[in-house]
Amino acid sequence: MLIRDAFKTSVRSLTHGKMRSVLTMLGIVIGIASVIVLMSIGQSAQQLILSQVQGIGSNLIFVVPGGSGNGKFSAPASAQGIIITSLVERDADAFRREPSVTAAVPEVRGVAEIVYGSNSANISYEGTTEQFFEVRNLPVGKGAAFTKSDVDSGAHVAIIGPVLAKTLFGQNLDPVGKTVRIKDVSFRIAGVLAKGGTGAFGVDQDNLVIMPLTVAQKQLLGITYYGDVVVEASPQYDIAFVKSRITFALRQDHGITDPNKDDFTIRTQEDALSILGSITSILTLFLAAIASISLIVGGIGIMNIMLVAVTERTREIGLRKAVGATDTDILQQFLIESVILTTTGGVIGVLLGAVLVALVYLGVTTFGGIDWVFAFPLSAVLLGLGVSTISGLAFGIYPARQAGRKNPIDALRYE
Amino acid sequence: MIDVRDLKKEYTEEETPTQALRGVTFSIDDGEFVAIMGPSGSGKSTLLHLLSFLDRPSGGVYTFNGKSIDDMDDRELAHVRNKDMGFVFQSFNLLSRLSVYDNVEIPLLYSTIAPSKRQSLVHEAVASVGLEDKLYVEAGRLSGGQKQRIAIARALVTDPNVIFADEPTGNLDSVSGLQVMEVLASLHKKGRTIVLVTHETQTAEFADRIIRVKDGMIESDKAVTKHHRGNVPLK
Repeated sequence: MLIRDAFKTSVRSLTHGKMRSVLTMLGIVIGIASVIVLMSIGQSAQQLILSQVQGIGSNLIFVVPGGSGNGKFSAPASAQGIIITSLVERDADAFRREPSVTAAVPEVRGVAEIVYGSNSANISYEGTTEQFFEVRNLPVGKGAAFTKSDVDSGAHVAIIGPVLAKTLFGQNLDPVGKTVRIKDVSFRIAGVLAKGGTGAFGVDQDNLVIMPLTVAQKQLLGITYYGDVVVEASPQYDIAFVKSRITFALRQDHGITDPNKDDFTIRTQEDALSILGSITSILTLFLAAIASISLIVGGIGIMNIMLVAVTERTREIGLRKAVGATDTDILQQFLIESVILTTTGGVIGVLLGAVLVALVYLGVTTFGGIDWVFAFPLSAVLLGLGVSTISGLAFGIYPARQAGRKNPIDALRYE
Repeated sequence: MIDVRDLKKEYTEEETPTQALRGVTFSIDDGEFVAIMGPSGSGKSTLLHLLSFLDRPSGGVYTFNGKSIDDMDDRELAHVRNKDMGFVFQSFNLLSRLSVYDNVEIPLLYSTIAPSKRQSLVHEAVASVGLEDKLYVEAGRLSGGQKQRIAIARALVTDPNVIFADEPTGNLDSVSGLQVMEVLASLHKKGRTIVLVTHETQTAEFADRIIRVKDGMIESDKAVTKHHRGNVPLK
């Protein structure tokens, strides 16, 4: 039997029971649409996260205390909540001596309550040097950033995020020059950050408080070590070279000869992008895997209906065999019917998925106020269509084989 | 054309073997009109199924057009059924949701005949049973007699050597039955071989020869006296 004839015969059979065909397809339609939507959301989230990391600058190197082993995904010990005191001022000075380094900005962090009059808020604060604002690309809008002399002298000044400014001072009051209290230490507000929002790694810049390193270390945290050091590489040098230089400097400083025993972790933006990219890809795949469960359910629905159709059409199978159809002809006809059902379901699923993705995009950007990236990955479309066709074959083969194997006499006698 | 020697068929139902045919021997030549008669359970339908390649014998030798069924695989049997045999069933076996045209075209879908020639072959076959005005009518809307004539058209469309008819008048009233038998008789006159299974004497008398089967064996094999063919109501 020619494929064209088999196709025509199958379409005729399917269009005869339109409602049944539509209902059978529904499982595949929902499954494919779910895969498309979840893969698209996963990719949008990936692009959003990666663009935020890219926003922090490609010339930055992050030095955090504690080793992380050799695994790509191993977190430094300090990131796991373990207090490590090995990163100190001497190390930052060693970085600054490297000709390939333009700035080394130490950072310490803590959480506390900030109070102004009767208003208060729970905030994260960051103690750092005056170079922080330029290196981290966080300009001060109102007022001015603190200076080197503020850092050296341990001045009680702070820069606050724009939302925090409104929380503490309302719409009309100018925060600059006002005095707030953090852990019973008074701070004069020197300026307000120009931009808020969520920065890289989920840092809430709206409610951030930035103060001189010395004050945060001595007055609020009571420590002498650093939480991390952000190193800005000179644009004339390759980032990998700079990374190797500061690694060398730190090993010398800490007297480390075996690289496996490093008590620090150095990551570049590229490393962070690679790790985040891998994590979000796995997340996307995980979402797609969940969605594919509905595809399996849809496929089982197809198999069930095809088995019913084979039973209902037993006499037709008998007749076709009597007038010359081979087992393969019958198998082919039922398999084509199954693939037409799933592939049509796949196409409808892709279209439905596209509509849902557009609705998610509109909803998130309009009501969520997030710079959501519209992602409709071609890979998801191809995967959707491919999987639907393959599920037609996979779930159609058993009923089709049952049909093909029917004995013509038994089939003709079937009541 | 058809030659059977000591043909046997045994079925096993619930572990009990049943001998439907116990060694049947006869030949049918090209252009013959043979009726196979016998009471219910005599083995006549089993014999027709074996002759029409719908089933394989348990023993004996069946040669069709000089070739033994034992030398053919299932694919070849299907090819011979399509090219050399036509089938007419008691219950018509038309696909009621399809048009007359589509029903008659079915055997051509499995043949090696070029798609461009199909339309004219379907038209010719339907015209030969006098129902060309019903070509695009849904098969389910036809009367019983019309359905059986369309089934004959479907059997003719590949221009087979032999037509096997299993109780073709069994589901018809006498007038329709007569019309169907006249169609078969006219096909025979044009040189077609017809093998008919029936338990009705009047229907069998359209044949040249009647083979009577009883308890899985041939009871008699005689030529028919032609004096009243076509003049007797069938039911």
